[in-house]
Amino acid sequence: MLKVENLHASVGDKDILKGINLTVKAGEVHAIMGPNGSGKSTLASVLAGNEKFTVTEGKVEFLGKDMLSLSIEERSRMGLFLGFQYPVEIPGVTMANFMKLAVNEQRKARGLEPLSAAEYLRMMREKSAVVELDSKLTSRAVNEGFSGGEKKKNEIFQMAMLDPKLAILDETDSGLDIDALRIVATGVTRLHTPENATVVITHYQRLLDYIVPDFVHVLYKGRIIYSGDKSLALKLEKEGYDWLINDYKEE
Amino acid sequence: MTVERIVNEMVAQPAPDTLTPGSWSLVADSSRSLVVEQGVRAELLVIDAEAAVSIDINVAQGAELRMVYVSQTQSANHIKLTVAEGGRCDVTQVMTHSSEVHFNTMLDGRFATFELNGVFVLTGDDRGGVTVDVHHNMPDCTSCTIVKGVASGSAHGRFSGVVYVAPDAQRTDSKQLSRNVTLGDARIETLPQLEIYADDVKCSHGATVGQMDAEAVMYMRQRGLSLVDAKRLQLEGFVSDVVMRSAIGRIAEPLQELISEKINRL
Repeated sequence: MLKVENLHASVGDKDILKGINLTVKAGEVHAIMGPNGSGKSTLASVLAGNEKFTVTEGKVEFLGKDMLSLSIEERSRMGLFLGFQYPVEIPGVTMANFMKLAVNEQRKARGLEPLSAAEYLRMMREKSAVVELDSKLTSRAVNEGFSGGEKKKNEIFQMAMLDPKLAILDETDSGLDIDALRIVATGVTRLHTPENATVVITHYQRLLDYIVPDFVHVLYKGRIIYSGDKSLALKLEKEGYDWLINDYKEE
Repeated sequence: MTVERIVNEMVAQPAPDTLTPGSWSLVADSSRSLVVEQGVRAELLVIDAEAAVSIDINVAQGAELRMVYVSQTQSANHIKLTVAEGGRCDVTQVMTHSSEVHFNTMLDGRFATFELNGVFVLTGDDRGGVTVDVHHNMPDCTSCTIVKGVASGSAHGRFSGVVYVAPDAQRTDSKQLSRNVTLGDARIETLPQLEIYADDVKCSHGATVGQMDAEAVMYMRQRGLSLVDAKRLQLEGFVSDVVMRSAIGRIAEPLQELISEKINRL
């Protein structure tokens, strides 16, 4: 589904990604961990197509297409979803209006007719239940005045609405209390099918108790320096990154 | 000049589908003088149709005027509002064309209230200006002015407003806010001013001129919206509260259409 080869990216004259290799297949869950400043969020942004970053080298294939030549919205319409670490507030734009446009863009890309008002309402009700999102929030402005937990639930609600092929969730667990974490993580798990894939970026093993990864990667200084299965996350939780980083430094 | 008196509740007319000059209520094709009589609640839609119009409205004791003022033609208009004790005046001001509009409000009785929510959207080489002066001449009056501006191309927009608080106008409560977004080479000037001669008052004012929120545009595009749609939606959101608080609720929709249509041309 996703094939990243030797991806280099920079912001200004600062190189952040220095040769990422990553392959994600349908049905898989990948976790990306790593110390602060290692480039995790940059990787998510670059894959989504954030124009702030410049790709200087490498290749990314998504569903067999060269993804780097596509705009943010083209990637989205192909089925790429980014759960933002810091969801953006959009004053005056209601969630319901925003999502209606988004859902219909996705449908258009898939050759489907726009939803009728009734179908859309039903869909919103159904999908907001996935993350126990208060249905009142959909009539409010996008993320405006939402609590930290509501913002993150709202990200997963949007994921449920848009039904992506590949979801990249950038620290969706940060700023969540225990209950919200469970709800958000359970929501993500419920949306997982053999046809889609999820990449979760996280600092904490506890998220991975719910979203069980097939692979865990450690990102450090712009490279994936180590990959393993879910037991790697447990080891990192217990022992930290030092043992890995030290190994890496000696290389 | 004849003085028209609004003595009864104004008869509700069907809301117009589109806001064209002369479509409803009062066509500002000449200078007018109106009185909203004591205790009456009146609604007034004004769509300017002439180059220079002046309207003088007296809101009597305990009366309430709800006015929507639309500038769609190249015009320079002056609206003087005088509000007596316990009177209330709610104005929604919408400008989508080169135009000058000046509201000059006199709060002449205690517990009088004035509220104005305005928006101007200018494109191409439009030149537009909104002036809102509020005179707190008596104690215990309240005023709130919020004007939002959007300009693109080589348009120039301007907001200016003075809140004047007379020496005896204690316990004045006044707010004034000018918020603006510019695109391209467009310019918006904003001049919010306070002139206060009383000491027991609550007055706030603020002004911002900024660009589109690039993060918000990116966020919307990540969900599949085109760049054009994302920008349009953001600008509609920016001005939406003006329409939502339309002084005449049932024309909120045509107002929204008028603004959206202009935003689409940015």
